[in-house]
Amino acid sequence: MEPKSHLHKVLSSGQFAVTAEIGPPRNADPEVIRKKARLLKGYVDAVNITDCQTAIVRVSSIASAVLVMSEGLEPVAQMTCRDRNRIGIQADLLGASALGIRNLLCLTGDHPKFGNHPMAKPVFDLDSIQLLKLVSDLEEGRFANGEEINGKKPVFFRGAAENPFAEPYDFRAYRLAKKIKAGAQFIQTQIIYNVERFRKFMEECERLGLLDKVYILAGITPPKSLGMAKYMKHHVPGLEVPDEIIKRLESAKDVREEGINIAVEIIERVREIPGVRGVHIMAIEWEEAVPEIVKRAGLYPRPAYEDISYPFVVEKVVEKVVEKVVEKPVEVVVEKVVEKPVEVIVEKVIEKPVYMSIDEAISELEEGMARGEIPFETLVEILASLKAGLKQIRSGIESVEETMRLLEEEFIKKPKGSPATPITKKEEIKKEEPKPAKFLEEKVIEVSAPSVEVKEEKPEVEPKVEVKPEVKPEVKVEEKVEAKPEVPPEEKPEVKPVEKPEEKHEIKPEVKVEEEKPAPKVEAKAEGRAEVKVGGFKGVYRPISERAKLVPPDSYLEKATGEIKEVVIGRNGKSIKVGGAKGLNFHYFEGEFKNPVRIAFEVLDVKPEDWPESLAKYYSDVWHDPALWAKKCVEEYSAETVCIYLQGTDPNGLNLPASHAVEVVKKVKEAIDVPLIVWGSGNAEKDVEVLREVAEVVGDRGAVIGPVVEANYRTLGATAMGYGLPVIASSPIDVNLAKQLNILLENIGVSLDKILMDPSIGALGYGIEYTYSVMERIRLAALFGQDTKLACPFICSIGKEVWKTKEASMPTDEVFGEQEERGVLMEAITGVALAIAGGDLLIMRHPLAVKLCYTLFNALSEGLQSSV
Amino acid sequence: MIIAERRPIPEILENIAPYSRVLVLGCRGCVAVCSAGGDREVAILAEAIRLAREREGKPIEVIERTFMRQCDPEYLEPLNELLPQVEAIVSLACGVGVNLIADLYPSARVYPGVDTSFYGANVALGKWVEKCRGCGDCIIDKTAGLCPIARCAKNLLNGPCGGSQGGRCEVRKDMPCVWHMIIERLKERGELERLLEITPPKDWRPAGGDGLRIRVRPDLA
Repeated sequence: MEPKSHLHKVLSSGQFAVTAEIGPPRNADPEVIRKKARLLKGYVDAVNITDCQTAIVRVSSIASAVLVMSEGLEPVAQMTCRDRNRIGIQADLLGASALGIRNLLCLTGDHPKFGNHPMAKPVFDLDSIQLLKLVSDLEEGRFANGEEINGKKPVFFRGAAENPFAEPYDFRAYRLAKKIKAGAQFIQTQIIYNVERFRKFMEECERLGLLDKVYILAGITPPKSLGMAKYMKHHVPGLEVPDEIIKRLESAKDVREEGINIAVEIIERVREIPGVRGVHIMAIEWEEAVPEIVKRAGLYPRPAYEDISYPFVVEKVVEKVVEKVVEKPVEVVVEKVVEKPVEVIVEKVIEKPVYMSIDEAISELEEGMARGEIPFETLVEILASLKAGLKQIRSGIESVEETMRLLEEEFIKKPKGSPATPITKKEEIKKEEPKPAKFLEEKVIEVSAPSVEVKEEKPEVEPKVEVKPEVKPEVKVEEKVEAKPEVPPEEKPEVKPVEKPEEKHEIKPEVKVEEEKPAPKVEAKAEGRAEVKVGGFKGVYRPISERAKLVPPDSYLEKATGEIKEVVIGRNGKSIKVGGAKGLNFHYFEGEFKNPVRIAFEVLDVKPEDWPESLAKYYSDVWHDPALWAKKCVEEYSAETVCIYLQGTDPNGLNLPASHAVEVVKKVKEAIDVPLIVWGSGNAEKDVEVLREVAEVVGDRGAVIGPVVEANYRTLGATAMGYGLPVIASSPIDVNLAKQLNILLENIGVSLDKILMDPSIGALGYGIEYTYSVMERIRLAALFGQDTKLACPFICSIGKEVWKTKEASMPTDEVFGEQEERGVLMEAITGVALAIAGGDLLIMRHPLAVKLCYTLFNALSEGLQSSV
Repeated sequence: MIIAERRPIPEILENIAPYSRVLVLGCRGCVAVCSAGGDREVAILAEAIRLAREREGKPIEVIERTFMRQCDPEYLEPLNELLPQVEAIVSLACGVGVNLIADLYPSARVYPGVDTSFYGANVALGKWVEKCRGCGDCIIDKTAGLCPIARCAKNLLNGPCGGSQGGRCEVRKDMPCVWHMIIERLKERGELERLLEITPPKDWRPAGGDGLRIRVRPDLA
């Protein structure tokens, strides 16, 4: 029969046991472990050695345990299931037993996610209960597969952990029972601050008759600082820190002293609870506190037993080496010492006061110098202690660094947390889109000139095109009804309208909404001053009830169960409302629509540098002054609202200060009285700075501000709330991210009827189908899926996206047609497609594209609304 | 069903960089249902490839096809005709489809267009969640139909760890603690004692620990 471990003896003799904990270092230095062991020796009955706690790589528990034994202290090795399968675990357990380790704590282990190798493959072949069972089986002479162990069997005093504060509370005692059943002989609990809850747990254990079957050691941790206590309270799962503890530390003059007081008090209180057979003091990175706590709690001195003989004792080996050093003649030692392992030097130092201070060392050195002789040993000692001192400082700094790192990780990671992975993939996709814009910027300059000359070619086109429009409007509506809500956004329209008009005759009328627009526009073109113009809308509307009269309405009507919120933009009479739909856009026969699709004209705060001539010519007379520009939009183009895009404040561009933005917005605000939208540069940080001040200026006008993104929703959300302004919630083309941002905003108090969602759109040919699909899904979820968090109107910044494409500014040529017509069509098609997908407020640039959109929207709504 | 996610486009482009004629091949099975590799995604990817290559000044011809399935040899037969027309295939099927093409058409250069992720359910619009890990030895009869192998970050078989809070997993706050759910359910049914028995270590051979998993039904084979 193997002798009991020291800890086992203490507990079985009925004495109150004390254990502590050592975290091995993150390097191969044995001295760190030895030093901690020396610090604790005599004050505790045994010391736990963590097995890469919090999943951070450290010296292994078993190797550290051997080092601790060499200091004459009994270790409790820890074994987790995180890093080894049952083969590795059994091999290590045989090894641990062979090395004389007698106490073993069986744990499942922290998930790698919490450590410094979160990408590691978590093993978890076993769980802690299966591990306990496996250890019991080994002791009985069976491997995990049932095979017999021939020869010496491993022996351990088997321990397990239990957290009385974890949920579900009422299962915790049962789980403890399970651990006992699996072979646990002692239990070390999670850190206790809430003594009352712990008392209840112990009562439950008593009720289940567990207290006679197991030794329970209560977990104690002296809070080292207020920060640590708060960290434990908020960030360590399953750890309860009552406010009272936090308050005590807050008001304490000497926080550490108060921390020790708290630990001592908790020990005194848990000692009174029946069944508590000892304490396990986890002074995290504060081992020096343990002796003090043990003494003050009246637990010192610890019971002594005759030393247990280990099969493998490091001490003896070291002793021999030490003797050799002494025997060597002084002259030879010079070389010898260099060869010696570090242990030799250290071993000697221990006999003296643990470490000499540097001052002491220097004064000793000086004394020696004065005497004219410095004994060689003294020099060695001084150097050794200096070296050890340095190490101590280094390990101290390391542990501080690590704590800092953990804190940083915890605090900085939190907000980003889960969505991180999905975002990255999507961003990669998106990155491709901006590229064409750069190409474009270079080319625009060449392009602008030719556009005028080519216009003469066009007139021949007109007659041919006029034929079609009569038929189309109806066809489109029908299609939608039959096809249910999902109108597939096809790629084709991108090319077709741009092709030579002759070809359009071949395209059958049943194609798509976009198809019909070339018609009215081209038709009217010959008039005016050789400009592209928008004509009227031909065709007679036939209500759906008439066209589908052979089909019962029930078979095609699908009424929405939800409703889109209505957002009011602007104040003092001059306001507009957006959203409020109870059906898919333009499905007038299915629901009520409070507002039409609206369009905002975009005005820039600085003179645009990259606009093609076909767009620039409409604004070049006013674009030096945003106020005049906005006025022109309102007076000449009848803008119902204007969006000021603060492009000049972009840190990657002109980086103009907030004061510039304020001045521009103020001027525009005074020049026009329509509702305003202010769109920042899109740089999350800069926008906070700029929009905060802008909000002050537009607050009384109830303007919309944005874009608010995940990185700045707190500050901008708060700003908007402060002035009662609606916000643009911008997320990167994703249903879940859009929803998440809405929820975040709602959580800080921005109500959903103050949110316009910007799904980050792609222009025709630049991801419009993706945008369409995401918008459609969001809208379907809001209307038919009871997803109220998505029931906000959409705002789509179309002009920005369309006019940076290559196609919008390429010169007129035979294949791609006339430049201006092409650009206008691209913008209008993008606008119409996204309006069908659910867009409620479109921000656009070209006056003709806007007109084209309105023409269509009005035709649809007038005809259809009357028909319902 | 099998859930997959489109691979980042730059990676796909890198794979097909040397070629000027490729086939983007979708699958109308699971990947179509989870919006990763059906007709629509084929069209989108093909267009993205064309645009990207156009921009690089290296135009590419992309053929778009979507098969009923890619995990059955007979559905892959049209490849005999298609293969001579292309230099490479980007398959949007799960890894099963890509492997089967590689097995049956050794000369075809086939590249995965999706990352095959897990077996999951469509729990909400645009959201799929893992429910099963295909471990080959079902234990959910004992856990109220909820699988701790797939849904517990530590694969625990003997009850909850000590870290869940408010019924959420400590590893992933957005994930409910499956053990919490199991306990609540069994408690309601008055069957909690089921959990008091120690579940022995799992045999991982049927989970793939034994190498390739093969199923044969002699009556059909």
